Amino acid sequence: MREMDRPDIQAMIDSRRIPIIYMHDVHRYYIVGDIVVKALDGISVKIYKGDFTAIMGPSGSGKSTMMNLIGCLDTPTSGGILIDGEDTRGLDETELAYIRNRKIGFVFQQFNLLGKLNALENVMTPLIYSGDVSYRERRERAENALERVGLSDRMRHLPNELSGGQKQRVAIARAIVTQPSIILADEPTGALDTKTGDQIMELFQELNSEGNTVVVVTHNEEIGKSCSAQIRIRDGRREV
Amino acid sequence: MILQNIKLAMTSMKGGRMRTLLSLLGIIIGVASVVTILNLGNSASDSITGSITSSGYDMLYLSAFDSAKTRDTFDELFGTRLMSSVGGIEVVMPTASSSARIRNENQIKSQSIMGVYSDYAANNSYDVAYGSWFTVEDSIFKRQVAVLGSSAAEALFPGGNAVGNYITIYSGTKGKRYLVTGVMEEKDASFGASYNSTVYIPFNTFTQRFQHMDMVGSYVIKVKDGFDPKKVNSDVEAYLNELVGSDNFFLLSSASLADMVSEVTSTLSIFLAAIGGISLLVGGIGIMNIMLVSVAERTREIGIRKALGASPSVIKSQFLTEAITLTSIGGIVGILLGIGISKLVTNMAGWEFSISVSACLLSVGFSTATGIFFGLYPAAKAAKLDPIESLNYE
Repeated sequence: MREMDRPDIQAMIDSRRIPIIYMHDVHRYYIVGDIVVKALDGISVKIYKGDFTAIMGPSGSGKSTMMNLIGCLDTPTSGGILIDGEDTRGLDETELAYIRNRKIGFVFQQFNLLGKLNALENVMTPLIYSGDVSYRERRERAENALERVGLSDRMRHLPNELSGGQKQRVAIARAIVTQPSIILADEPTGALDTKTGDQIMELFQELNSEGNTVVVVTHNEEIGKSCSAQIRIRDGRREV
Repeated sequence: MILQNIKLAMTSMKGGRMRTLLSLLGIIIGVASVVTILNLGNSASDSITGSITSSGYDMLYLSAFDSAKTRDTFDELFGTRLMSSVGGIEVVMPTASSSARIRNENQIKSQSIMGVYSDYAANNSYDVAYGSWFTVEDSIFKRQVAVLGSSAAEALFPGGNAVGNYITIYSGTKGKRYLVTGVMEEKDASFGASYNSTVYIPFNTFTQRFQHMDMVGSYVIKVKDGFDPKKVNSDVEAYLNELVGSDNFFLLSSASLADMVSEVTSTLSIFLAAIGGISLLVGGIGIMNIMLVSVAERTREIGIRKALGASPSVIKSQFLTEAITLTSIGGIVGILLGIGISKLVTNMAGWEFSISVSACLLSVGFSTATGIFFGLYPAAKAAKLDPIESLNYE
């Protein structure tokens, strides 16, 4: 995978495919006490628009760190990351929040819905932070997103009135409502039974076939294999 | 965005009703006590100055002390001399008062008795209930007529029908019969005169019967319309200082007394309101505490919101709005409570109720400021939370 070290710009232009996620020699170190933990130690990745990619690795491999970096929740110690053409190096909290809002749709293992808001309000929330979307448009777009995940009959339900699979569908609706460049899912089936988990993966597949770029972070071999491409990580480096 | 934040604040308050109420209690008590104290101060001051100035804001009261030096000055012509020396005086009314035993048929009462001019009642806005006030002729001819204050009439004529009957007023052991020509309406006591319990007789009759000299004890001076009573007061004072020296008279104007009283009550109000302000401050610390707890409890929510694209400033304004909404609600409830309490107290005290608008505005302003001040730190803390750590917070 040495060719990943340098951006092959000519090849990109030739193929007219510019990576939507481009990580070049990314390091992410943490200092715990007086020990330096190298969570990521020189990773380079290209993920293109329309890809359905699994980032796989055992726990402690650095895949969560990678997800945080792609999701702009964190910035690298060194190396470059471009998210849909935006260089995230040196951005402050507010600028990162802006990129998260516009370009990333998060789906979490624990759903992370806001418990006091109903499904519709949960899905509308990211649009509040987009700033310039009217209430009417927010509601319309949230209704469409919930319809897309098959929950048009559960819009007024609170999260604790929904099943695990339904909660995850609300979370997916919340992720797609902003029409992000990347849907970033962290162990999206981890808290679900196998059958429900498969349904959620099918939904991701559908969303991907509609042109969405989907990145799934998982340690589960089966889930990883159901994606069209896999990136394997171990000890902060890519497995060759 | 602000509306959204207020709605969010309401939602999160609904979550912990009891806790919200308890933390609001400090603000409510603080605001209610400030509003109550200032309202009561206002009402008390209005009611006291009202009774002082009930006989007119334009009255000066002069008491002369008897001494060799004053004897030449305070005679019957003093009024005329004063009016020619000091401008702005409408009339100078000598009054003389004493206490005398008064008999009506078989009962003898000790009453206060006043010798006044025939225009005394009109100048003091003192109205006749039955019969009539005595006339100029009554005074000139030193007739033995009397007008009774309302409670003096009740004391001397328990069965009513005072007008047209006679009373006997004693000077020493000698008694003289006086015809009662009128009974007055009730009038609140004003300083210098407790109207109701007094028996009024013509000034000249009084001086002949009770003071066997020309010297007069006191004067009521009425200021002309359009003149400042305080200015006239100081002019009269200057005139008398030169004439008899400051030790030999006592001059008081209803205007300056009213000023003095309202100054005292407002100083007292401010002092008490400051104590109320301290409880507001304590309430504010309660708000800060609840907000810190709220931030800690909602760490995960903050993480989620950040992941969805809320910038630090958005999170900050969410929590700040929540604190301000809390304190504003506390402020409004406190104001209503304060108005209610002060209305109750004024009703019981029999004062005129008056709302101090400035106190209400002050309390709202102060409680909102408390929200901002004590909400800033928790809000900043929420804004600074690391999104990854807070997402993983259990």
